[in-house]
Amino acid sequence: MKWVLWIGGGLIGVIALACVILLVLGHRATAGRTTVSADINASPAQVWQWLDEPGKLKQWISWVVEVRTPNGSAAPGVGAKRVIVMKDENNGGMPMEVEGVYTRYQPPTEMDLAMSTPGAFEGTETYRLTDLGNGRTHFEVDGRFHYAMWTAQLFEPLITPAAQKKMDGDVSRLKSLVEAGPSAAR
Amino acid sequence: MKPPLLAQALLFAAAGPSEAEYIAGDLEEEFAIIREAGGRAAARRWYSWQVARSVCALLQLRIRSGELTQAVLIASLCVAAPLLLLDRLWRFVYSQIPLKDGLHRAPEYLIFNALCVCTCAAALGAWAASTWASSRSPGSKSRALALAFAAVIAVLIALWASAASAPAGYIVTLSLAVPASALLTFAWRRSR
Repeated sequence: MKWVLWIGGGLIGVIALACVILLVLGHRATAGRTTVSADINASPAQVWQWLDEPGKLKQWISWVVEVRTPNGSAAPGVGAKRVIVMKDENNGGMPMEVEGVYTRYQPPTEMDLAMSTPGAFEGTETYRLTDLGNGRTHFEVDGRFHYAMWTAQLFEPLITPAAQKKMDGDVSRLKSLVEAGPSAAR
Repeated sequence: MKPPLLAQALLFAAAGPSEAEYIAGDLEEEFAIIREAGGRAAARRWYSWQVARSVCALLQLRIRSGELTQAVLIASLCVAAPLLLLDRLWRFVYSQIPLKDGLHRAPEYLIFNALCVCTCAAALGAWAASTWASSRSPGSKSRALALAFAAVIAVLIALWASAASAPAGYIVTLSLAVPASALLTFAWRRSR
């Protein structure tokens, strides 16, 4: 019985300590924020296609199965919507829809999206493309997200670094795909 | 010249103290004959193969007799349950990523899993020492080996049942570190 009490008490102590650490880390300045940048050997117009065309988005953002424009939504522009359908392997392969509303759309340099999945998260994602000359582009993505569920808010210090890694991988894939394109760096 | 140590330990873990002595005695007689006839390597190979092919049947007998039920239940509770709970936790974390992610876990998560499970296995070893070794019964070593073996099986089942993909290095590390933690703590607690 003594052992059961020791192990049970130890577990409760460890869980309580972990919760306190997570709560403290959840209040840091960069909570919920992911940023990635890369210099791509292609012009801003060439990179822009990969941000704008549904078929191309599916190639560089992993786990995307469909990108669609809701019925009645206008062509890309401020106020228009696009829905990204993702396969969530960590949720039994369930399709998850992420809705994005354009809040800024200035091809080929700036795009801002207000993104949300009801009951999961909401936030903004901004894309900036800066022409470096000689067919090169500085590409930046800045995502800021807030989680709806209290459990997700608690685990934000774990979720955000994982999201950052995922975004790093996606942007690295984008760079490879754009640079491998037939007209890159011209 | 003795039979392979690992095979002997496996035999004692699977057969239990009552059966293991007889089986080991028979195997050692045959082992000596084969060593004379075919050499040391052939005898070691033969001994290991004999143990490997008997393990499942011996374990089945032991579980049926109820002798191992406690070890299997406790090992499952202490080792498989934390691994599966951690898997649930990481699945939740990954499913909350705004643009979703796959089933490959970051190395730091796998290291955290390994540390947690080894700590649980150490607690398992300490529990076994305080429960079985207090009486200094001759079968306590064999029971501890059985417990360590059950812990390895529990780890493998938990990894198989887990949704995430597990790298080979991680599986091997857990399969070695978990029984080692349990046995070392058992030996340490027993020596005190």
